Amino acid sequence: MPEFMTNIGDLLTGSYLQQGALWALGNIPGFPPIIQTVHILGIAVVMGSIVLLDLRVLGLAVPSQKIGEMTKRVMPWLWWALASNFISGAFFLFGRPNRYFNNPVFGWKLSFLIPAILLALVFHVMCKTQTNYWEFNTRRIWTAKCIALVSLGLWIMVAMAGRWIAYSEYIYFPA
Amino acid sequence: MLNTFLTSPKWIDIENWPISWEIGGTWLFPLLESIHVIAAAMVVGSILWVDMRLLGLASTRYAISTLNRELVPWTWGAFTVAAITGFGMFITRAASHVLNPAFQWKIFLLVLAGLNMVYFHYRIYRYIGQWDDAVATPTQLKITGGLSLILWAGVMLAGRWVGHIV
Repeated sequence: MPEFMTNIGDLLTGSYLQQGALWALGNIPGFPPIIQTVHILGIAVVMGSIVLLDLRVLGLAVPSQKIGEMTKRVMPWLWWALASNFISGAFFLFGRPNRYFNNPVFGWKLSFLIPAILLALVFHVMCKTQTNYWEFNTRRIWTAKCIALVSLGLWIMVAMAGRWIAYSEYIYFPA
Repeated sequence: MLNTFLTSPKWIDIENWPISWEIGGTWLFPLLESIHVIAAAMVVGSILWVDMRLLGLASTRYAISTLNRELVPWTWGAFTVAAITGFGMFITRAASHVLNPAFQWKIFLLVLAGLNMVYFHYRIYRYIGQWDDAVATPTQLKITGGLSLILWAGVMLAGRWVGHIV
């Protein structure tokens, strides 16, 4: 784990953010499973927006949807879902910072998440400037397909890594 | 009778299948669990399109039948993966899961979501031609779409809660 990450963990330990998160997790009845469900519902929207869009660009799903128009329509859903997931995730991150900022699997999750967000951003921004940007010529179509394939893999790995944060011992201390 | 069924020693036998021990004691469990989360998210993410369309809140330029045809197969495919991975996790603690209130709620809500779907497909869908392109959908469609969203969110919540009780 890079040093700046463990530093963030140290910074959060004992902070008001940690106290607030721990208070909410410990005192609001059912708060941990409810917030986790909100987090998974956010992942569901990620699946329903960017993952389906990637599958559409690859020619594997929703053939009647027009790529440019679909991009403009589903991307706001992705950004709202991500905003929601940053908040729901923050409760756990702030509550036990060292469990995340000292955990290599969380590092992986971020290293999948950041390029995944950047690719989605590129895809969305180009569509905003020109709706049919990604269908304009063969070269663009193939660029879009490459982006979609990488993006698809990254989002799946984000969700995978997220779940494996709790199981890092299986990876680092195998039987 | 239900009590006898839920406390049957058969559930312990399931936990003692060699495969149950293999999954429960190795990295197979987190692998199945992570696939289960992704598949479940896909179930909700795909059915969300149809439900929002039925509510008249999204994809209103597309016919209900088009969305239904292109998205429901993804829902079913993801559901199959979720069911298989879910079964793989269930057998590692079958006896405690059947007595776990969160698990019981999950199955109950799953059945309700299934009945809602059957009602939509066999009672409402036959007359879909009447409002296939309608943006302002009739109340009956709004109810079935809204119910689907609430029930699937409930299945997720109960499913996540299972792990907090076991």
